[in-house]
Amino acid sequence: MSGLGTALVFWPTAAIMLVTGLYVFRTSSMARAGLLLLASLGVEGLIFLALASEFLGVLQLLMMSGEMVIMVFFMVMFMADPGGLMGMDMTHDKRRSAAAAVGVAVALALLALLTDWPAATLSGEAPDVRAIGFEVMGRSMFTFLFAGMTILFAIVGGIMLAAQGGRLGIAAPGDDGVAVPPPGRAGQHVPPPGGEEGHAMHGAEPAR
Amino acid sequence: MSAASPFAIVALALVGAMAVALLEQVVAGARPSPAGVARAALGTLRQPLAVPQVKDAWLYHGAPVLLLLGGVLALATVPWTPGFRGLDFSTGAILYSACLAYVTPAVLMAGWGAGRPLQVVGGFRFVALMLAYEMPIVMAVTAVAAPAESLRPAAIVEIQHAVPMALVQPLAFALFVPAVMAVAFIPPFDLPQAPGELGGGAFSAYTGVHAGIVSLAQKVLVLGAAGMTAALFLGGWHGPLLPDALWMALKTAAVAAAMLAAGRRLPRAELPWLLGAAWKYAVPAAILAIVWAGFVSLAVYQ
Amino acid sequence: MISLPVVLIAAALLFGIGLYGVLGQTNSIMVIMGVELLLGAAALNAVGFLRYAWPEAASGAMFVLIVVTLMAVEATVGFALVVATFRNRRTAELDDLTDLKG
Repeated sequence: MSGLGTALVFWPTAAIMLVTGLYVFRTSSMARAGLLLLASLGVEGLIFLALASEFLGVLQLLMMSGEMVIMVFFMVMFMADPGGLMGMDMTHDKRRSAAAAVGVAVALALLALLTDWPAATLSGEAPDVRAIGFEVMGRSMFTFLFAGMTILFAIVGGIMLAAQGGRLGIAAPGDDGVAVPPPGRAGQHVPPPGGEEGHAMHGAEPAR
Repeated sequence: MSAASPFAIVALALVGAMAVALLEQVVAGARPSPAGVARAALGTLRQPLAVPQVKDAWLYHGAPVLLLLGGVLALATVPWTPGFRGLDFSTGAILYSACLAYVTPAVLMAGWGAGRPLQVVGGFRFVALMLAYEMPIVMAVTAVAAPAESLRPAAIVEIQHAVPMALVQPLAFALFVPAVMAVAFIPPFDLPQAPGELGGGAFSAYTGVHAGIVSLAQKVLVLGAAGMTAALFLGGWHGPLLPDALWMALKTAAVAAAMLAAGRRLPRAELPWLLGAAWKYAVPAAILAIVWAGFVSLAVYQ
Repeated sequence: MISLPVVLIAAALLFGIGLYGVLGQTNSIMVIMGVELLLGAAALNAVGFLRYAWPEAASGAMFVLIVVTLMAVEATVGFALVVATFRNRRTAELDDLTDLKG
C-alpha cells in the first residue's frame, strides 16, 4: 500500500484499537467487554493488513473472532454480574495499576523514539504467503513443531484441569470417602482410608 | 480491485439475494414470484421502527449490521469470472473463512442483545456449533489450496481446468458443503435460529428493518456459500461451450438449489448429535483430507 | 507518514492498556483479557519491524504466528484453571484466592 493509503487506514484504526481496548476494562457488561476486545484485536488485524502483512492480518481476524466468543462464554459462566446492570466495580489498586501502566507505556514509547532504527529498505514488502510457507517448513520447522506440541499439551492439560473430578476421575460408587487433611496440620501426613496407594497420592485430594 | 468493484459487489449481493429468495420459493414447490419477494422486502422497510425493550441496545442494533457486513465481504472474496474477481487477495480463501467467522459474534450479539433467555440460549447454541464448523471449513480450504500452491481463489479455480476438485478430493468436498451450509443457516443445520426451536432462536426478537437486514444477510450468506463451493470444488468458470460468467452462474444456482432442497427434505440435526459428529468425526476427517491433498498434489499435480 | 516509531508507540500504548487490565482487574478472566492485549501489542511490534526495518525476514512473520498461537494456548490453560478454581472455591475473583499470602 502506498504511504498515504497506509496512513489513511492506520490512524483511525489505531485510534479505534486503543479506545476499544481501554473500554474493555471500563465497561461493566461482560458481553460488551468480550466484544470490545474482539473489536480491538480484530481492528489490529486490519492494521496488519495495512502494514502489508496480508497473511498475518487475515489470520488475526480469523482467530480473534473464535477466541473472543469463547471468552464471552466463560465470562457469562463465571462472573457475578454478566449483564452489567448493577455496575459493580471490579478493579483493585486502580491508582497504582494505572500509574504502572502509564509508566511502562511511556518508557516503551521513549525507547521507540530514541533508538536508532535501521532505515527502511526500498521495496518495503512484507513476505508474502509463499515466503512464510517456505520459512515455516524450512528454517523454522523446529519452532513450528514445538508450537504444535505446546498446543497439544495445552489441550490435554486444559481438559485434565477442567474435567469433572479432576485427573483422578469421578469417584465410583463403592469408593471410600476422599480423605480431606484436617485443617491446620499441613505438615502432617494423613493416610487415606483404604491404605497407602503410593507416593502419587500425596497432595492429590482437592477440597471437594 | 477497480473503483467500481464495491458497487458491483453490493449490486451482486442484492440481485443474488433476490435470486436466492426465488430459488427458495421454487424449491418449496411454489411458483417463483419476484413481485412477492420485492413486496415482502419493501414491507419490512415500511414497518415502524419498533424497538422492543432490549437489554443491550448497542449489541441489538449492531448484530444485523455485522451479519450483513460479514456476508457481503464473504461474497466479495468469491471469484466469479476471470475479469470480475472481487477482493482479489492472495490469501482470499482464508479471508473467506475469516468473514464467515464473524457470523458467530453477530449471532451472539443478536441473542445477548435481545436479552430474553431463549434468544440468549439460541445465540450460545450457534456459537457452540460454529466453533466446531470453523475447522472443517478452514481445513477443507487448505486441502483445496494445496494442489493449487496458492490461497488465491482465482488460482484454485485455474487449477481445475481439467478436473473439478470435487472429484479429486471428495472428502474435503463432503466436509466443506455441510459446514458452509451450517454457517449460512440452511436447514438441516439451522438449529439455533429455526422458527420452531426454542421460541424462534437468536434472531426472533428482530422485527421490521432489522428482520429485513437479517433475512438479506442470510440470503447473501447462502449465495456466498454456493459461489465459493462452485469456485473451489466444481471448477468455477471452466466449461466447454458457454461463456465463463454463465457457467459460474449455472454452477452457483445448482449448488444453492441443492443446498436449499436438502434443507427441505432432511430432518433437522439435533444439537448433541451434531456437536459429537463435528468434533469426533469431522475434524479428524478434515485432517485426513489434508493428508490426501498432500498426496494428490505430489502425485497428480506435479 | 507512518514510520516505525509510530507503530511502536501505538503498540506501547496498547501494552499499557493491557498492563492496566492485568494489574487492576480483580476477576481472573479480565486478567486473561489483559494478557491477550499484551500479546497483541507484541504482535503489532513484530509486524512493525517486519514492515519497516527488516522486510525480507520471514522469521518475523513466524514470530507473529507463534504469538497468535500463544494467545490461544494461554487462553485455553487460563480458562481451564478458572474452571477448576471455580469448582473448588465457587469464586473467580483474584482477591479471594489468597492462600499463598504470607
